[in-house]
Amino acid sequence: MAYFHLPVCISPQNSFPDVNLSQIRESRNNLLEVIEPPYPGLPAAARRRMGKSVRMAVGAALPILEKFPQPDGIVIATANGGMEDCIKFLNQILEYNEGLLTPANFVQSTSNAGAAQIALVSKNHNYNITHVHRGLAFENALMDIIMLLKENKDAGYLLGSTDEISAYNYNIDRIAGCFRKEPVLNTWLFQSKAKGTMAGEGAFMVLMNNQLQGASAELNAVKTMHSTDPHQVLRTLEKFVSENFIHGEWPDLLMTGENGDERLLPYFDIVESFMNESIPVARFKHFCGEYCTASSFACWLSMQIFESGEVPVLMIKNGRNEKPIRRILIYNNYREAQHAFILISKVKIQNSKFKSKK
Amino acid sequence: MSRIFITGMGLISAIGDSVEENRDSLQHSRSGIGHIQFYQTAYAGRLPAAEVKYSTVELNKKLFGKPNPSITRTSLLALHAVEEAIRDSGLTKEEVSSTDTALVGATTVGGMCLTDELFNDANAKSGGTPYLSSYDYASVTMAIQEHFGISGEVGTINTACSSSANSIIYGARLISHGFARRVIVGGAESLAKFTINGFNALNILSSKPCAPFDRDRSGLNLGEGAAFLVLEREEDLKGKKAYAVLSGFGNKNDAYHPSSNSPNGLGPFLSMKEALESSGLNAGEISYINAHGTGTENNDETESRAMIRLFEKVPPFSSTKSFTGHTLGAAGAVEAVYSILSLVHQELYPSLSFQFPIPETGLIPVRNFFKQPMQHIMSNSFGFGGNCSTLIFSKT
Amino acid sequence: METAELKRQLKEQIIHFLNLTTVKPEDIKDDEPLFGEGLGLDSIDSIELIVLLSREYGINIQDPKEGRKILKDINTMVDYIEKNRTK
Repeated sequence: MAYFHLPVCISPQNSFPDVNLSQIRESRNNLLEVIEPPYPGLPAAARRRMGKSVRMAVGAALPILEKFPQPDGIVIATANGGMEDCIKFLNQILEYNEGLLTPANFVQSTSNAGAAQIALVSKNHNYNITHVHRGLAFENALMDIIMLLKENKDAGYLLGSTDEISAYNYNIDRIAGCFRKEPVLNTWLFQSKAKGTMAGEGAFMVLMNNQLQGASAELNAVKTMHSTDPHQVLRTLEKFVSENFIHGEWPDLLMTGENGDERLLPYFDIVESFMNESIPVARFKHFCGEYCTASSFACWLSMQIFESGEVPVLMIKNGRNEKPIRRILIYNNYREAQHAFILISKVKIQNSKFKSKK
Repeated sequence: MSRIFITGMGLISAIGDSVEENRDSLQHSRSGIGHIQFYQTAYAGRLPAAEVKYSTVELNKKLFGKPNPSITRTSLLALHAVEEAIRDSGLTKEEVSSTDTALVGATTVGGMCLTDELFNDANAKSGGTPYLSSYDYASVTMAIQEHFGISGEVGTINTACSSSANSIIYGARLISHGFARRVIVGGAESLAKFTINGFNALNILSSKPCAPFDRDRSGLNLGEGAAFLVLEREEDLKGKKAYAVLSGFGNKNDAYHPSSNSPNGLGPFLSMKEALESSGLNAGEISYINAHGTGTENNDETESRAMIRLFEKVPPFSSTKSFTGHTLGAAGAVEAVYSILSLVHQELYPSLSFQFPIPETGLIPVRNFFKQPMQHIMSNSFGFGGNCSTLIFSKT
Repeated sequence: METAELKRQLKEQIIHFLNLTTVKPEDIKDDEPLFGEGLGLDSIDSIELIVLLSREYGINIQDPKEGRKILKDINTMVDYIEKNRTK
């Protein structure tokens, strides 16, 4: 369907430039903040205009652009990208009573700043879009890519996501009750039963095309829904499985966005109960934290699993690394009402039976 | 792939709270730009804007019959327009809530029209206002999803001033690729200190009613409104009325500067060119262009250059922002509705406040309302970040 | 304040205001153009500098085009500040 190439992930874990998921970096002050690389290819003139989420997005895109300088389009997902600049501008408005204000924060705060800056630094005039639908922004971007690659079979697109923990966004979500009130470590997130999760952030960039050769993974299917009824979620899952698996077949791994918030457990319980009990279950949000586009981290993680051949032990909830992992079903839930299913699979190894799709 | 038809439209703006009312204003050159009456800002009386002529309390009453504390003005405008679009399209309740009905919204302000509440919550000044989940862009689309029970794919797009043109494009493609059978697409925007001060800080707000494409233009006026369209496949029409076909579209990036177009309007040129190519039409077949035409020095000159470059003979064009102001995230959809009205009724709406052409380009927009046979209409939306989108609508 | 000190202060303010994190005050030459070449500032920066002049020196420049003349380089800016500051 659509193939992932050259994935780059900037996250709170050791994910870039080197990957090491055998250890887990701990949270601090109930936050999982990214380790930002130095971004050597990012010109200072551009960097000064970038808030963190834009900087992460552009920084993650640069290594890909080095190898593929002119993607046929740039598709970015972000829900709160630019929020920090937004509120900085707002603070200015109130501090100076709508008087003389500096526009840089305003210009930098628009959601499409990430996609725009990537286009600017690479002089890319092609398709350019920003999806912002909260916990399903990344899934919308995936669907956009699936459509683009059917419309343009020989094209290559830059797909990415970015979201940051901005002080202001964090305040809003904290007051809304999203996060754990008591201090907790990410390593203890699932063991402690309580309301709320832990904030995280990250950026993910990848090249998408129809080339199987050299791909890190294949994107098979995406499905999203809105509901606060676990049974409706189950019905959607049943349909998703029946559409994507031959009767009796199952994915080799279920990866869920369980995030330590006990209020969401009914959804994860119903999804896990439906799956065949032989299927191992893994979780990822104690690694990356909760943020709107966290499902991109799950996709990146899947690619790491395909490459290494096993699930990082610290991510396993049920089961063991026994059978080869070829197909991963990701189920993510954002703030209860938004649900997504993504099917991602290991690329079939080239041999004489298969023709290269060139 | 099946042809995509527009079967329903809903619209609320400074010039009317229905499609028909808007059309009436357009026909009679009744602009909605004036003093800010409802929104609290230091610029009321100093900067003209095009407000929807209802207070938020009144909008709430119109929709819900009673105040609803956690729904923002932007969402109220959106709900109003979606309701009209659904009614107009004749979709049944079952169809609206069917899993094959998708929804794609757009906004650049979202719930950030509530400056004081946002400031308080973002700076943790109090225990939290009722709007904690209503600030982001998705909140508007989610309000629609919840109110109408949309159970298909839902998305929100923010590409600044081209947002709802892109929600129309994305929505149409969802149908073409089988992710949905029908889709409700559009955008909504309300006045906010955030955008008033933002655009003012960039020196692109005019202290007079905007004069798109005029030599002496001095900037844009902000506007508010919401427009939503129902898109369906040709094979699902079954004799139902359809207004127009979405026959082509383009999405390109100017990649020159974060908040202005390149001097020769490359992004706008590429966007219009791509729309033409995707429709299979020649430039000469475009009967009229609903221009982006914000009234800023930069946009109007660069859009003019792009039109001159693409068209051997620039077709009649005008900017309806001279009626509605610049409705930002809603502009693409608002102007799509106006383009479709033009097509259905075979009439052209003027660019108000125009007196003298831009000396460097010499283009003169349509200045009076008149009837004219038309086949294909192009609508432009160009936003910050170089995001340029173009739609082409054709007669059914 | 002496001119030399004002020049240094202004350079530090420009660096801070425009987030020029890789530039030091000694990197900015007094007669080097701020826009286009030299420091390579753009239209958003010119607006930001006008705000800087207002907030730090009480100078209000209404016409952005006049502003570009004043903002040509450090020398022209300091000259204007010395003649027009109200703070």
